[in-house]
Formats: sequence, C-alpha cells, structure tokens
Amino acid sequence: MEHVDKTFQMGDVAVHALADVSLEIREAELMVMVGPSGSGKSTVLNLVGGLDRPTAGNLWFRDQDLGKLSPRELTFYRRDTVGFVFQFYNLVPNLTARENVLVSTEISRDPLDVDEALALVGLTDRADHFPAQLSGGEQQRVAIARALAKNPALLLCDEPTGALDFTTGKLVLRLLVDVQKRLGKTVLIITHNGAIAGIADRVVRLRSGEVVETTVNPSPLAPEEIVW
Amino acid sequence: MKVLDRKLVRELRTSGGLLLAITSIMAVGVACYVALGFAYRNLTIAKRNYYSDCRMADFAIEVKKVPLAELAPLAQLPGVTEIRPRVRFLATVDLERAPEPLNGIVLSLPDRRVPVINDIVLRRGGYFSDTRDNEVIVNDAFARRQGLHPGQWVHLLLNNRRQELFVVGTAVSSEFTYLVGPGAITPDPEHLGVFYLKQSFAEDVFNFSGATNEVLGRLAAGVRPDDVLRRAELLLAPYGVFSTVPLSDQPSNRFLSNEIQGLEAFGVINPAIFLSVAALVLNVLMSRLAEQQRVIVGTLKALGYLDRQVFAHFLKFGLCVGLLSGVLGIALGYWISGMMTALYRMFFEFPLLATRFYPDTAVKGLAISLVCSLIGSVHGARAVLRLSPAEAMRPKPPARGGAIWLERIRGFWRRLSFGWRMTLRNVFRHRFRTIAGMFAAAMGAALMTNALMLVAATQYMIDFQFQRIQRSDVDLGFKEERGRGALDEARRLPGVDYAEPVLDVPCTFVNGPHTRKSGITGLSPNSRLTTPRDAAGRRLRISTAGLTLTRKLATILHLRRGDLVEVQPIKGQREPRTARVVEIADSFMGLAAYADIEFLSSLVHEELAITGVQLAVAPTRMARGQLNRELKRLPALQSVTARGDTVANLMNTLVKNQRVFIGLLVMFAGVIFFGSVLNSSLVGLAERQREVATLRALGYTQWQVGGLFLRESLLINSAGTLLGLPLGYLLNVGITIAYDTEMFRIPVVDPTWICLWTIVVGTLFALLAQAIVQSAIGTMDWLEALKTKE
Repeated sequence: MEHVDKTFQMGDVAVHALADVSLEIREAELMVMVGPSGSGKSTVLNLVGGLDRPTAGNLWFRDQDLGKLSPRELTFYRRDTVGFVFQFYNLVPNLTARENVLVSTEISRDPLDVDEALALVGLTDRADHFPAQLSGGEQQRVAIARALAKNPALLLCDEPTGALDFTTGKLVLRLLVDVQKRLGKTVLIITHNGAIAGIADRVVRLRSGEVVETTVNPSPLAPEEIVW
Repeated sequence: MKVLDRKLVRELRTSGGLLLAITSIMAVGVACYVALGFAYRNLTIAKRNYYSDCRMADFAIEVKKVPLAELAPLAQLPGVTEIRPRVRFLATVDLERAPEPLNGIVLSLPDRRVPVINDIVLRRGGYFSDTRDNEVIVNDAFARRQGLHPGQWVHLLLNNRRQELFVVGTAVSSEFTYLVGPGAITPDPEHLGVFYLKQSFAEDVFNFSGATNEVLGRLAAGVRPDDVLRRAELLLAPYGVFSTVPLSDQPSNRFLSNEIQGLEAFGVINPAIFLSVAALVLNVLMSRLAEQQRVIVGTLKALGYLDRQVFAHFLKFGLCVGLLSGVLGIALGYWISGMMTALYRMFFEFPLLATRFYPDTAVKGLAISLVCSLIGSVHGARAVLRLSPAEAMRPKPPARGGAIWLERIRGFWRRLSFGWRMTLRNVFRHRFRTIAGMFAAAMGAALMTNALMLVAATQYMIDFQFQRIQRSDVDLGFKEERGRGALDEARRLPGVDYAEPVLDVPCTFVNGPHTRKSGITGLSPNSRLTTPRDAAGRRLRISTAGLTLTRKLATILHLRRGDLVEVQPIKGQREPRTARVVEIADSFMGLAAYADIEFLSSLVHEELAITGVQLAVAPTRMARGQLNRELKRLPALQSVTARGDTVANLMNTLVKNQRVFIGLLVMFAGVIFFGSVLNSSLVGLAERQREVATLRALGYTQWQVGGLFLRESLLINSAGTLLGLPLGYLLNVGITIAYDTEMFRIPVVDPTWICLWTIVVGTLFALLAQAIVQSAIGTMDWLEALKTKE
C-alpha cells in the first residue's frame, strides 16, 4: 500500500477511514494487524482482499495495481488469489461442510481436493454435517477449509477468533499458523485482541486510520503460549 | 449438480408455506390460461370440422311459399355459389312414452343421399331407403332422450294430419349444434326434436310440390352476406320474406360463437389477473429472500463469484417457482378443460368434441409462467447486485424508524393501543408489500363479486322472464291464424282454469334508415299471463293505442316513447301501417313488441285473429295429465310449451353448469386471498423474528403475537377487498355490455348482499392463511431467534 486514503461518504459527512497508509505485506509471512474498532483495520482487509477500492494512493498485489482493476477483474482477483475467513464464519446454512467448501472450489482455477482441505482442518468425519450441527470452532474450521481449498496466495482473516472461546480460538490460530508455515501462504489476521500479535512475524498497529507502529517479531510465540 | 443449485433445491424444499402460497396463485393463473385455451381449441376445431363436414349454410331465407322456378335469379346473385331450397315446418310430436305433446322442427332432405348444404352426419341407422315414403331421420339428442331407435314408429302432426313415420336413422347437423326452440336460450332435447323427411314426402304432405319455404345458400369466400341478403329479399319480396338470416345471426352458430369468443376473452383476462397478482407476491417474497441472504450474497461475492452468477442463482429460485407452477397449472388446466368440454357436450351436439392436449398452448402457458416468475424475481434479485461484498457482510443498518403521517393526527394516534400503532407503522413502512397485498385482495374480491353477480343475474333473469313476464303454465301455438272460436275451444280444454289469446304477427319495423325484422305479440289489454314490465319491475298495461317495445328493440330502431314507427306485416295483406311507441318494456330475452290484440288484428285487417293461446292450468297432476292427453289429439297445434319444463330445463343445464364454473372461480379467488395473505404474513414473520422473540420474552402469548400479524393481514386484506368490490361491479357491467345481444341480456343486479358475501368469504380465506401463520409462530424457536445476530 502506498499512501492509501479511503473516505466513505455517509450522507453529508465524509468519514476518513484510512489516511495516507503505506505498508507492505511480504510473501509467506504472518502479519497481525491490531487496533480498536474504528481504527480502519477492516478497511485495510477489504482493500487488500479486493472487496473495495482506495480513494487515493496505490495498492499493489505483486505487479498488479488493484485500484485500477474493474469490478470484474477484482472479482477474478478475489476468486484466484484471496481466501477469506470471517468472524461469524458466513457459512451457507443449508449446505453441508463439504458443500460449503465446494462453493469455493467450484469457481477456482486450481483448487485443492475438497476432502484434502477438510482433512487439513481436521474435519474429515464431520464433512456431511450442516453448520447448525457444528460447534463454533468447527464452523470456523470449515470456513478456513473453504478459504484454503481455493489454494489462494493470500489468506485474510477478519477477527477469526472473535466469536470463539479461548481454547477453541487458540486451536483456530494453530491451524492458521500451520497453514502459513506448511503451505507457505501469506496470512493477514486483523483483530482488536492484542494478545494475538504474539504469534505474528510482523505486527502493525492502527489507530484512527493511521499506522502508528510496525514491529518485527524475531521469535513468534506458538499459539498455545499466548493468553488473553 | 452445482453446489449453489443444491442450496437452491434445499431452499425450495424448506420454504413450504411460501412456496405453496406463490405456486398456488401462479398455477391457477396458468390453469386458467391452459383450460380456457384448450377448451377454446377443442370447440374451435370441433366447430370447423363439423361446419365443413355438413357444408354449413352462409345464409338462410324464410319465405311464406315460393315456386322453385323463381329461385333462379337468387342463385345467380353475385357472390352466391350454391343454393338449396327445403321445406321447413314446426310440428307437434306424439310419443307414447311422453305424457305431453313434444315439439318438432320438420325439414326436408333429398330422397337419395347427395351432399347438400346443412347436411347431416348419421349416428345410428342409415339414410332413407326406397322401401317407404314416410321415413324419418331424427336428431340424435332427442332420440337418445326419448329412447327412440331406428325401426320404431313416431307420430307427428303434419299439416293437421297425424302421420305415422318410420325411423330409419338418427343424425346430427351443424345447424343444430346448439338446438334451441323459438325464444329459448338453452337446448331442451327432451322436448324439442328435429325430424328430417324425404323431400318428396314433405312436398306432398305440406302441399309444397314445386315450391319451398326456406332457401339455404353458400357464398364465395370473402363475400359479405348483408348485401346479398338485401338483394335476395327484394327478389323474393312478392312471396313474403319472414326472415333473412346470415350465418352470424343463425341462433346455433351465434350461441356457439359467443361461447368461443367468451373463452378467448376470459382466456386473457383471468390469467392476467392471477399472474399479475402472482408476480407481485413473488416480488415480495424475492425481495425478502435477497434481504435474508445478504450475508451469504456478500460472502459469495468475496469468494469470487461474479454478480451475474449470484443474480442468476436468485433468478433460478423464481424460475423454479415458475416451472413448478407452470407444470402444476398445465396439469390442472388440462383437467379443467376436460371438465369444461364434458359440460359443453351437454349443450352442444357435435359428432366429435374431443378433449385434446395442445402442446403449443401448454408450452405457451409454461412460458407465461416463467416470464411472470422472472418479472416477479428480477426486482428482488437485483437488490443483491447493488450491494458491494463488504457492505453486504456488514449487518443491515436498522430500518428507518421515522414517524408515519398518521402520527401527526395526534388525538387519533394517542388513542391507539401499542399493537395498533405497531400494525399501522408496519403497514405504512412496507409500502410495496402493502400495495401488493391490497392489489391481490382487490383482484380476489373483484373476481368473486363478478362471479356471484353473474349467478344472481342468471337467477334474476330467469325469475323476471319466467315468473314475472311470462306467467302462463302452457302456451299453445297454432299452425295458422284462427278466430275467436279457437280461444273458446282452448277454455274448454280439461284442467284449464283460464286462457288468454295471443296473436303473433311477423313484421318488419322501419324507422327511417333503421329496420329490423321481428314480430309483434298481440295480447288482451288486461293480460295476466304475459305481463311486460319496466326496469323497476312495474307492470305495464298493454295500450290500445300503440306498441310496447322492449328496450333492446327500441334501441336497435332508435325509437323512444312517443315516436312513430312503420310496421310492415309479412303475413296477410302486408300493407305497411304506422303505429306509435307508447311504452318501453324491459326484457332479457329476445326482441319482443307488444300490442293490444284487437289493435293488432286491425293492423293486419282482421277482426280478431289469434295464433296461440296461453293457459293457466290447475296445479294438479290429474289436470295436467288430462290436458296433455287432449292436446296430443288436437290437430291444429304447431307447438306446446310448458313453462315449468322450460324453467326446470334452465335450472338443470344453465344454472347447474354455471354453479360449477362459479364454484371454481370462487375457489380461485380464494386462492388469491389465501396465497397473498399467507405470503405477506410469512415474509413479515421471517423478517421480524427478532421482534417476535422479544415480545415472547417480554411475556406475550403466542396468540397475542399472532394477533399483531392478524391485524395487519386483515387491515390490508379488508382495504383491498373494499377497493375490489367496485372493480368487480365494473367488471360485471363490462360483461353485461359485452354479452348484450339480441338473444339475451344479462342484468346488473343489486350488489349489496354479494359485496357482503365477498367480504365474508375473503376474510375466511385470509383467516385460513392466518391459521398457518399462527402455527408457524407457535413452532418458532424464539430463544434461538433472540441469540442470532441480525
């Protein structure tokens, strides 16, 4: 991101969500972005994920300027490059776990095998259950499987533990760390939970739409070691 | 199957009540289209084949008597391709098994079988043989009803002589597809038959050798009959032309064509009503569905689904509804068309009236259903396109909660309970849904009001015509004019309490450029057995100074009370006379004109002539039996009509069938009420789960919560119904105008009771739908609803 501004027009008032943000996410690193609500972290995630476009500045993915892509090109960018994990999982309630994963593999160019994806998150024997029959942690693992199954370069996680209890939350983080380490994916986690920053390679702190601090974590903690 | 399609199938499977509501309305619309379309084509095909097989005449001219040699100029008129003279008379029929004398139309056919205009199609037995002169072919419907078979003998009074005739066969003919006697509107095959005699025998019996009294003709394609008939009338004028009837006015053809046209018109109007309601209701449903799946839509977009794919996914839901409704509608429509066609077989006598399946009409029905469902879904589905994925995944901002305009009427608003305030706010905030609900209820009410008004109108028409205007028990028609003695003779008949004379004078009315062939009925001034009435039902006295015209005839001739009209009698000396129109009477059948019998006799230069007698008969079986036996022996009778039989026949056929159709229509209107209320309530319930859960948590019972929904449904339903009542009334007025023919008119009846009925029935259907909503509230997991994030 180079000098990215993002302004939302809310009626007569212009809300500056991001002001002159520049930052770099490196290939295969695990970045955690921390900040209170309203700090602009979701906006960053939306921009990086191709869900939204910057008002000003440049936004590069490799050598592609995302700000200049058409809505259709952005859709294909999301389809081929990005995997999303949402706070509330956003599973389709009347599809089984396997089918929810199919939702993303069916449109991907180079998907993983569905069962392989489910095996990665340890849900092979729950594959035919509907979301309502799964616990919160299991649902989030389905969501991660759905994101991974596309075999994306970028995994973007919006408060992935926000709706989960402590223990389950840590299991989900373990999964994300493993994915990053074993599959070499670039993972961006945004959270208001500062403790999670401990597992990151790099931590970016946002406040009021500005980057206030970027720190490199020479020895990230294992998810099992952090406490909140 | 694509995974999104799997999602769709599960959604369809779990949306039971909503799917029921919408598919029932749409399926009924398609069923109407298919049923009326199929029935239309069944009748049209049967008619076309039949007319062509029988070489149906393009015109008929009835004359008193014309020598065959004089017909040559007629055959040479430009446009006339072929003519056929025949002998035609009315006769009474004496069957041993029938207690009363029956009526017959007697027609001549060539002695040897050759194709002729208005030919017959044999059903049983064969054509005339050379064995006997006195062979007869009987129309099949009469033969069936009276148990007549080839090989039996029948007795007809032909030209004052009782003739014994040998039945060689039964037949049908296109000119009698809808066989009605003079003045009747429904076929009465039990009391009216057609008897075909050998040409030579008929000429002999009626003293018509070398002469004819009816000429049938065919025209070259594209020739208009009016001009030909005008010239023909001039040619035949010296022989007394009773009537010139183009095919379009031929009674049987007219009834059949009216029915076919009606099917065509209703085949458009009815489906249009249902499908427009269905599209609106579907729209409400789809908007809700798109709203409900906001987050899923956002997620799919975030995953990389194109707008087009998501849009198509939602459209598919609508298309599935359309497909399902279309298939159900076609099946239902085919079934109804079979039922309608079976009913038509009771009225119309065809050699073959088959119920067929017309794939192209069915495909059109399906296409209409799909298009309608697409129209209904596009609006709702488009809502998913407007959302950006990021926005879609954010919770929906709370609904605008501003005050509605009613709240400005402070005094009124303050007096309302909390429940009513909530109801009113909902009604005014979901404007589109409210309008859709009102539109549906209005259409349901309009259909029902119109249907019920038609039933009441038929009943009224029958009462007016057969209880108030025509009050005699038995009408006798003579073969020719008789003197006062015939009346005295009739008075002496056994069982007769009272008798009045009637003189029918066929004539042409002329008022400047407006002319009309009809007739005048002469009655005694104090006539009790035929009492013309005005629109308010008041009895009109038969004036000794002029004519009483029925309104339809007066309208055709552009005559008002006080105007003078020229009357040209067709019988007797045929000298034109001028008479004054002294009264306008109302009547729903035919084109009658009444005059004092003595005044009319003088018009035709006779002292007192009568052509018929009306009888009041003692209401006992014995009196009727005695009378019937005596009537069978009277040679001078041309026709015998019992009012009781006419009314019974009307009730049995017209009214009974109408009830079936109307019953269906009321059911269909009910489907609209039911479906629309069910849909909007279930959609409302799905949308307000949170609210319902909160109220339940606050201690509201399930019935109290249901009451809030009920109030809303009833409010919208009643408002729509009230709007629909005048619409139904107007629709009814439109139909009465469309069906205002010379043969019969449909009155517009007082709608008060019918409106009340419509409101009651509409409310009942709405309550039925509410029962389902109530049970949905009962089974709702409101604790879960409280927890879910919106």
